[in-house]
Amino acid sequence: MSELPLQGVRVIDSCIYWAGPMATVLLADLGAEIIKVESIQRIDFLRLLGGWPTPDGYEWSAVFNGANRNKYGITLNLNQEKGRDIFKRLVAVGDVVTENFSPRVMENWGLAYKDLIKIRPDVVMLSMPGFGTTGPLRNYVTFGPNVEMISGMPIISGYPGGPPMMTGYIADPAAGLMGAVAVMTALQHRKRTGKGQHIDLSQMEAMTTFMGEALMDFVMNNRVRSRRGNRHHCEAPYGVYPCKGDDQWITITISSEEEWKSFCDAIGNPHWTTDPRFSDGPSRCENHDALDKLIGEWTVEREKKDVMQQLQKAGVAAASVLSFAEMFDEPHFVDRGFFEMVTRAANNGTHPLAGFPAKFSETPLSIRRPAPTVGQDNEHVLKTVLNMSDDEINQLAEEEIIGTNPQGWPYAMDEEEAISRLKGIHGKD
Amino acid sequence: MSEQALSGLRVLDLTHHVAGPFCTKILADYGADVVKVERPGEGDPTRAVGPFINDKPALEGGGLFLYLNTNKKGITLDLKSKTGASVLTELVKQSDVLIENFSPRVMPGLGLDYKALKKVNPNLIMTSISNFGQTGPYRDYKATDLTIWGLSGILYECGEPDREPLKMGYNVSEYVAGLYGALVTLAGDYYRHDSKGGQHIDVSIWETFHTMQPTMTLVFAYAGFFRRRAGIHFPWGILPCEDGYVGFYLPTQAHWELLCTLLGQNELRDRPEYETPMLREERRDEISGIIVEWLRDRKMNDVFHAAQELRLPLTMVPNARQIFDNEQHKYREYFVEVDHPATGKLLYPGAPFRLSETPWQAGRAPLLGEHNEEVLCGRLGHSKQDLDKFKKEGVI
Repeated sequence: MSELPLQGVRVIDSCIYWAGPMATVLLADLGAEIIKVESIQRIDFLRLLGGWPTPDGYEWSAVFNGANRNKYGITLNLNQEKGRDIFKRLVAVGDVVTENFSPRVMENWGLAYKDLIKIRPDVVMLSMPGFGTTGPLRNYVTFGPNVEMISGMPIISGYPGGPPMMTGYIADPAAGLMGAVAVMTALQHRKRTGKGQHIDLSQMEAMTTFMGEALMDFVMNNRVRSRRGNRHHCEAPYGVYPCKGDDQWITITISSEEEWKSFCDAIGNPHWTTDPRFSDGPSRCENHDALDKLIGEWTVEREKKDVMQQLQKAGVAAASVLSFAEMFDEPHFVDRGFFEMVTRAANNGTHPLAGFPAKFSETPLSIRRPAPTVGQDNEHVLKTVLNMSDDEINQLAEEEIIGTNPQGWPYAMDEEEAISRLKGIHGKD
Repeated sequence: MSEQALSGLRVLDLTHHVAGPFCTKILADYGADVVKVERPGEGDPTRAVGPFINDKPALEGGGLFLYLNTNKKGITLDLKSKTGASVLTELVKQSDVLIENFSPRVMPGLGLDYKALKKVNPNLIMTSISNFGQTGPYRDYKATDLTIWGLSGILYECGEPDREPLKMGYNVSEYVAGLYGALVTLAGDYYRHDSKGGQHIDVSIWETFHTMQPTMTLVFAYAGFFRRRAGIHFPWGILPCEDGYVGFYLPTQAHWELLCTLLGQNELRDRPEYETPMLREERRDEISGIIVEWLRDRKMNDVFHAAQELRLPLTMVPNARQIFDNEQHKYREYFVEVDHPATGKLLYPGAPFRLSETPWQAGRAPLLGEHNEEVLCGRLGHSKQDLDKFKKEGVI
């Protein structure tokens, strides 16, 4: 069996919600051993956020299950000294510690970087709170949507003349991705020098990195950009066009005169394509409304998949706007095996889960195990990593330092009712 | 120059546009030795994109290019020429990593595919970033940022339900792919040991962007539905205040009660028509109206602090100007001054993460071909006459 890029790297992971766990799931996918630490007193809140209002609903959070595959899961009550001692014992044989709490949390537990280097001098520690570990806002409350908002992205996003808009969630996985890159950077340094360090990642700063173009325009020209919908600042046509059927769309983006000519040929050179209003990029941009109307009249009579094939054959960047229900059958994904079938007993069977979005020729990746159930790997980790005896483990369970049954889970709906309720709030078949 | 996290990592950078250069920027900013190869004459097409000072196009003055190519050395090479390709293979011998983001046909067409380069340097890590990946039926298709948004599933659920879906930001899918490029490159290099571990890493921009959502495909697999595009309406909100916008997502009962306290209108909690989340969603425009009225003569910073005092997750939604005024950015000195011959000193976004022992360092983008002599003569041993010859032949 081939090896994995990060095999042998052990991460003690107290990240919760979505941003932090997204960082560690990437390291897990790459082969690191992630020991995810929850507690039965307080399970990872993401199990609740995406979960179902059923008795076992904390195992049905799709966002949790996607963000925590390939990890080992233990529970430790870190509010008890015994729990913190075990955490420290794990750090002593670990390489990386990760957390995304408000800065005072680890400090209050005596598990801050300055405490942990006494146990493991070369540890790499990632702290990734919303605003970073320093500064006047360091203890402020943030969730993913807030980070997207404060990055400035909504101000440049929206329909022309309309209010600012947002995805509502993208800052979480984006910050997680940045967190994984940060850990790899520090691990590289440690591999070369033997020294660890503390990573201070502000989710706001990470997200602001994506705003380069708009910020450069401001520093260069004192210009604050306005919203322009799906349009490009100088290329046209560039947009989302209606296709046949309910809520069916195609994206068409044309970036050169050559591509424009190919597009005109592909749609049969209707008379309007020779209109001087559309003769070159700048004029097409100026007359974008009229152009969009004409293109829309062509696309609306056709199936999006047909338009995609027809235009791509002619060398035009056009593609379907897909819903999440349409992902599994996509021939390209099927060919590349992007979705992997993952069996998880707690979810009564096997379901498709998107794999890692890159392929390594010598150290191929895969989903090796599904997301852990609460405390699933308590015994395995405590025995194999810390050499604990059965007696010790039983004692810890009795004292509720460890466990597998979340305390205070409030829900008791039956599955059918839960699904129909969630559909009512969110859903579309 | 002090020791940096990625000092000693030698990166040969064939990337252009946004995704690839952002990947190599991250590596360069944390200390990797990045040699960026551009085509002679016009260089990386992003040089022509802007923004420009006073909107005057300038080969060395494009804002996006300057931002994406900090800390890199710049050389020119015509890879289509035999000499150019040969010089490249000389560089491959001295590199740990080669990163490129051409369409998949291009490198094989130049005789520079992984198989060929592996013969030159068996230990090489080659990271290829492309829209669809190096394999598959869409491999040679064309795509831009909007195309990728549409294919990823994410576009479909953004925007208002009664009109076309809406993309956010500029080039977000490219930034994401660039970060994945850095991640896999570092993972691949971490793995290399005892002269083994060279490999080809195939990054698909479509696949990477698809991971930027809450596993909605699994929601669909579990329960047969997924989230409907719903716009930004209460309990979501991006609402105008006196000097800008504030934003929030306040779905729970506890949030509602704290919001009423913030508004100084606790009596709203007693109104039967606002009693539950579902009832409030039905009256969302009405409730947004109440909030907008309250925000009308209040400044975003004041509202932000007042909300946070109640532990209510309400935030400023700043424009570019207001981002620079953010007190947290100022305290942490997030924006850094970078001097460049074409533009003078400008403020750039700084470190995306901070390392306690080996900090991020600011630097500038290279001029076109700026380091031809340093790299081709200094590292490869070519003479100045060679360089003149290359120039005459259009190789550099």
